[in-house]
Amino acid sequence: MLSEFDLSAIYLTFKLAGLTTLILLIISPPLAWWLARSKLFFRPFIESLVALPLVLPPTVLGFYLLLSFSPDSYFGGFWMQLTGSGLAFSFSGLLIASIIYSLPFVVQPLQSAFVNLDKNYLEVAATLGFSPTKTFYKVVFPMTLPSFIIAGALGFAHTIGEFGVVLMIGGNIPGETQVLSIALFDHVETLQYEQAHLLSFSLLAFSMTLLILIYGVLQKRQKRLNNA
Amino acid sequence: MPKSIFKAQLKFNLKKQGLFDFVGQISTQGICGIFGDSGAGKTSLVRALIGLDNDFMGEVLFNGQVWQDQHHFVKTENRAIGMVFQEPRLFPHLDALGNLKLALHKNSLYSIATLATLLDFEMLLDKKVAELSGGQKQRIAIARAILTAPQLLIMDEPLSSLDKHSRALLLPFIKQLAKQIPILYITHSMQELFYLSSNMLLINNGKIEAIGEPQQLFLDSTLSLVKHAHSGLLLTVEKLSWDESHAMLQGEVDGQAIFLTIDKMIGEASLQIKIESKDVIIATEKFPHSSLQNCLTTTIEQIEHLSASHILLTLNLGEQKLLAKITVKSLLQLKLKVGLSVFSYIKAVSIIGETS
Repeated sequence: MLSEFDLSAIYLTFKLAGLTTLILLIISPPLAWWLARSKLFFRPFIESLVALPLVLPPTVLGFYLLLSFSPDSYFGGFWMQLTGSGLAFSFSGLLIASIIYSLPFVVQPLQSAFVNLDKNYLEVAATLGFSPTKTFYKVVFPMTLPSFIIAGALGFAHTIGEFGVVLMIGGNIPGETQVLSIALFDHVETLQYEQAHLLSFSLLAFSMTLLILIYGVLQKRQKRLNNA
Repeated sequence: MPKSIFKAQLKFNLKKQGLFDFVGQISTQGICGIFGDSGAGKTSLVRALIGLDNDFMGEVLFNGQVWQDQHHFVKTENRAIGMVFQEPRLFPHLDALGNLKLALHKNSLYSIATLATLLDFEMLLDKKVAELSGGQKQRIAIARAILTAPQLLIMDEPLSSLDKHSRALLLPFIKQLAKQIPILYITHSMQELFYLSSNMLLINNGKIEAIGEPQQLFLDSTLSLVKHAHSGLLLTVEKLSWDESHAMLQGEVDGQAIFLTIDKMIGEASLQIKIESKDVIIATEKFPHSSLQNCLTTTIEQIEHLSASHILLTLNLGEQKLLAKITVKSLLQLKLKVGLSVFSYIKAVSIIGETS
């Protein structure tokens, strides 16, 4: 069976992935909307910045994050003053890193959904007197709901699987920063293959179930739309 | 409080470099038709008026409120307008009722149930948008625009792609509706224009060419409308009655009797007919021994040369006018001149009904 050590890692991983996804689903829609609609000259720059974690080795990102988390840096110092504790090797630091690392996985599906959203419906909403907020909740969100589901699922799954960044900034503190992927690495390093098998298979089964559920729901919806 | 809702003042001066230059002022009471060829700028004008196109420079004033000037631009959602686009544009993620509920404003003159009865879509309320036909969708789209309690309703060729049933239902409905909400009605159909509107904006080549009553503008030979007018004019026939013995509809055009062939008596007291200019025969003496039924006494008001062989006569009936296209040879033979009284025999009449 899974040891207490493993269960604590699993709990921490889900807590991290859940919080990361929640925060990303709050900050990504406005960002994706802006990226989809803005004609400002510096938009490509912001767009590249968001996409950077897709191409950068996680260790590079982790290294720069580690530097900025140091209490000697502006950001790290500011955080220290604000909260009284450091960011490096803490859960908060891990959360910030995860948000940055998983950002493109949530922003990009939303951005492409917003780009493809028929502008005619937004015009109708305006002529019906809807405020931008009402237009978002009553028109944009329901019409792009599948993309929100995909974005959330990708953000969640990607956070569960992260390793390099965690290794650089989180270290390996049980109950604080020791997530699943790190615990698994630990088991292999110490030749506890049985534990490693159990953990790996649990993660594999979970990921597969999650994806089947999401794509199944999306397919049903697509079928309904096609038949209608 | 004055009921400004019945009467709207719309004043605008909108420019888009090298493309459009719209200047005008209309006091709409009822329906103001916006007429012009395709590509003339009808849709561009209304999009600019309601703020969907912010590339236009200039001013728009509605009932004294500034909608746009050098320093202000009121967003479309804050202009208290209703818009019916050429396509229905219903939200696909909602059913018919959902679309209507979302638009419903507390000040709406009509309830969803009333509109469902008037526009005959009670049975469609629980239908998904994709299950509806084009005509059904457009009826719901019109109801949706009315439910927002607009101070000005804009309709962009709402009937152009509809089935006969929907058109027959909607034309009289729109005419009635205009008694409560002023309407700007874009159309390229002369029939719709004459049936609905008392006032029109003529758009030609990106500019407002004229503003006035349709009857008058169509007779003004200095306007671009003249090419439509050449084919014939619309007349209003009043005091309709059913002639049982001949199974024909009898009526009067400026006091002169006219007979129309129609399947059945219609409910209204007046209707509009179109007489093509090539279907008018001019005679200086009556000729009773013919099958022609309709003869109107007219005065020649204007003689205009269309080509080397043909001329166009403008004939005065009293208040309304008739156009006749005849050959130069006939003109010379009959010695026609301005001011002369002639008999105009009508070969064919088309009736502009609700189902036109």
